[in-house]
Amino acid sequence: MTLADLKPGQSGEIVKIQVAGALKRRLMDMGVVAGTTVRVEKVAPLGDPLEVLIKSYKLSLRKSEADKIDVEAVA
Amino acid sequence: MADKENEDSQKAASDRKASLVIAVAGNPNAGKSTLINAMAGTRLQVGNWPGVTVEKKSAEFEYSGRRITMVDLPGTYSLSPYTQEEIIARDYLVHERPDVIINVVDATNLERNLYFTLQLLELGIPLVMALNMYDEAEQKGFRINAEMIASTLGCAVIPTVATKGEGIDRLIEMAVEFADPSKRYSSASASYGEDIEKAVQTVVENVRHRGGKPSGHEALRWQALKLIEGDELVLEETGISEDEVFLEKATHHLRKAHGEDLEMLLADTRYGLAAGLTREALQKPEKRKRELTERIDAVVLNRYLGIPVFLLSMWLIFKLTFDIAGPFTDWLDAVISGPLTRWALSLMTLIAVPDWTVSLVTEGMIAGVGAVLVFLPPIFAMMFFITLLEGSGYMARAAFVMDRMMHAIGLHGKSFIPLLLGFGCNVPAVYATRTLENPRDKALTALLIPLMSCGARLPVYVVFTGVFFSAYAGTVLWSLYLLGIMLAVMMGWIFKKTLFRGEAPVFIMELPPYRLPSVKNLLIHTWEKGKHYLIKAGTFILAISIFIWFGLNLPWGVESKKDSYLGLISQAAAPVFAPLGFGTWEAASSLITGVVAKEIVVSTMGEVYAPKACEEEQSEALTVGEDLKEIGVSFAGALGEAAKNVFSTFGIATISAGEEDTTGIKAAIARNFTPLSAYAFMVFVLLYVPCLIVLIAMRHEFGTWKWAGVAIAYQSILAWTVAFIIYQGGRLIGIG
Ligand SMILES: Nc1nc2c(ncn2[C@@H]2O[C@H](COP(=O)(O)OP(=O)(O)OP(=O)(O)O)[C@@H](O)[C@H]2O)c(=O)[nH]1
Ligand SMILES: [Mg+2]
Repeated sequence: MTLADLKPGQSGEIVKIQVAGALKRRLMDMGVVAGTTVRVEKVAPLGDPLEVLIKSYKLSLRKSEADKIDVEAVA
Repeated sequence: MADKENEDSQKAASDRKASLVIAVAGNPNAGKSTLINAMAGTRLQVGNWPGVTVEKKSAEFEYSGRRITMVDLPGTYSLSPYTQEEIIARDYLVHERPDVIINVVDATNLERNLYFTLQLLELGIPLVMALNMYDEAEQKGFRINAEMIASTLGCAVIPTVATKGEGIDRLIEMAVEFADPSKRYSSASASYGEDIEKAVQTVVENVRHRGGKPSGHEALRWQALKLIEGDELVLEETGISEDEVFLEKATHHLRKAHGEDLEMLLADTRYGLAAGLTREALQKPEKRKRELTERIDAVVLNRYLGIPVFLLSMWLIFKLTFDIAGPFTDWLDAVISGPLTRWALSLMTLIAVPDWTVSLVTEGMIAGVGAVLVFLPPIFAMMFFITLLEGSGYMARAAFVMDRMMHAIGLHGKSFIPLLLGFGCNVPAVYATRTLENPRDKALTALLIPLMSCGARLPVYVVFTGVFFSAYAGTVLWSLYLLGIMLAVMMGWIFKKTLFRGEAPVFIMELPPYRLPSVKNLLIHTWEKGKHYLIKAGTFILAISIFIWFGLNLPWGVESKKDSYLGLISQAAAPVFAPLGFGTWEAASSLITGVVAKEIVVSTMGEVYAPKACEEEQSEALTVGEDLKEIGVSFAGALGEAAKNVFSTFGIATISAGEEDTTGIKAAIARNFTPLSAYAFMVFVLLYVPCLIVLIAMRHEFGTWKWAGVAIAYQSILAWTVAFIIYQGGRLIGIG
């Protein structure tokens, strides 16, 4: 399951980031690291990007990137 | 004795440097620039979105007899930079090594900010932490144990509220104390665990052995960590290759114990420490209140309302800009063409200057500069609303909402911010492209920026709509802005398919909470943005106006302006514009000179169509007192009208600068254009080549004339083609 599969209001715990290089580095620097809980807050009016809550701040990223972040759903 | 004194002060100087350099670093949008403004009384640009500061800026002040230089750095999430402005911050910290770092930390977002603090500590530069946004943290009910953070990290931690100047005195005091080499605080950087520390040790020894320590002794730890991570910039700077034997050896154990991805290992380690420290030092309230930001976003980012809200706010900005500014524009126009010109004339008669000087001053300088000055009200109003957008936090939301659409033209939501800034002025907009990650987005965004109709083009529209379309001026203005946007979409799509093929960029952006900018700050930053127009009018435009006057009056004694140098050149160029409906030499001359700055189009028209000064003189017998009274009364009238406009009209009010006068530039325009050719002309001005300053900014930003050249080429073709279609198409269907 990936971050893109979560619906607004659902949370998940990051398991693995499936990207490489600079993009991965950037995601890590912004707090997208394994073990962190993320909650999907909103989907933009046109269906993309997503707004997620991570480490107590709001981050927006596209579904195509969210799709490469493996998560495990948490209740 | 004198010698002894000298010696003493020298000794004092050796452990108390006379001047200190304090770098201010931290995550984007943490309040660094606000903090420096509060400390040094500067007016650095501030805004509630990440990426406001894109250049290193410094501010100086005296503190207990010492010269303090504060360096404002662009915000960055890490010392392994991703975007160009982050590289600026990183390079400064690594290579210039300030005496002390003030690390501005957003107290509401402790964990991610501490992750960066840990990286700063690796540098081995004394560090003082400003625990900023403390007011917001308190409001959320956060309780932060600053002492615990201080003792764990070996730095000072001072709670601050930069917007109110709270904690500033204490912060500067600590920063100065930490900077003194005599008291050199060893920022005992937190241990990254035995395995990593051992590897660092090995790398440090090897690097030292090789004699390669380009960024000073203390940064060795940082350098070693980056080498272990395989940071490309550091590998390049040190000339060490990634598969160097000693590196392999040093990391061998790490790889075996923790896997191949050492970059991730270190990120995890730092985040582990940051999370641990946050857990211990931060106490959150049991129950979380639903915050204002979330309530606003429930509407603003709503599935169905998001787009309407966006369109409505854009429309409101335009409406209010013209509603409020319109009456003042009329007032300024009346003042400049009336009393001001009269005073200048009487003054010149008094000191009996030659006729040609009278003409230079009234037809050249006053007409030229005046034509531009008149439009300061809408320009300032536009800047005010852009400042409001920036300060409130809506800017980042607009990027979020528009990302999907931008995606279609090969860009992403973040490009939307420079484009929006472009409506104020294209020049800062070009610099704002720096926050975009890859060069492809930057170039594409910069190429589209000139299609965003900037404040300088406004004067042209206002004059022409005032003459031909006063009944529905609002709609006509709107249509021009909209046309620019639509063509940007079209060109974006074309560029994406031609010059900029390749994969679409990624979009990762922080959404800050909404904040209410203070009135004082709004006014200061509106002024800072708008004053450039004022300065430009007084220098650049004045000079060009004089130049144009000579162009129109040389060779000496030329009878008609048409036969002047500028007239002759314009006559030669005019046929190019004939198919577009404005093949007169007057139009051509204003377009040619308008390349320098677009407001000059109206300046030139002001001069080209200016009536001979002497013809006007007689009617005036008003005293200065009466003049002043009139100015005051009409100003009060303008105020009233502006207020009325805002509340009573639903459409967009018009600016009708000097509608009544029949001798001025308006009358001349009415004679020389038809509504159709006027519209084609406005479209042409909207689209044709970026102004000189934008071209220079493009050159500056990209280090090559290439993109400036592309902009000139595509815009000339686009402007001509679109104006042609409008004019000829309009004639075909029988308009005009
Ligand atoms: N409530 C509150 N707001 C603050 C405080 N400090 C700064 N702000 C606001 O936070 C926003 C960001 O401030 P800036 O000074 O532009 O931040 P910066 O760190 O320079 O940001 P970049 O240049 O983008 O890296 C602005 O809207 C400020 O008004 C504070 O202590 N309390
Ligand atoms: Mg800043």
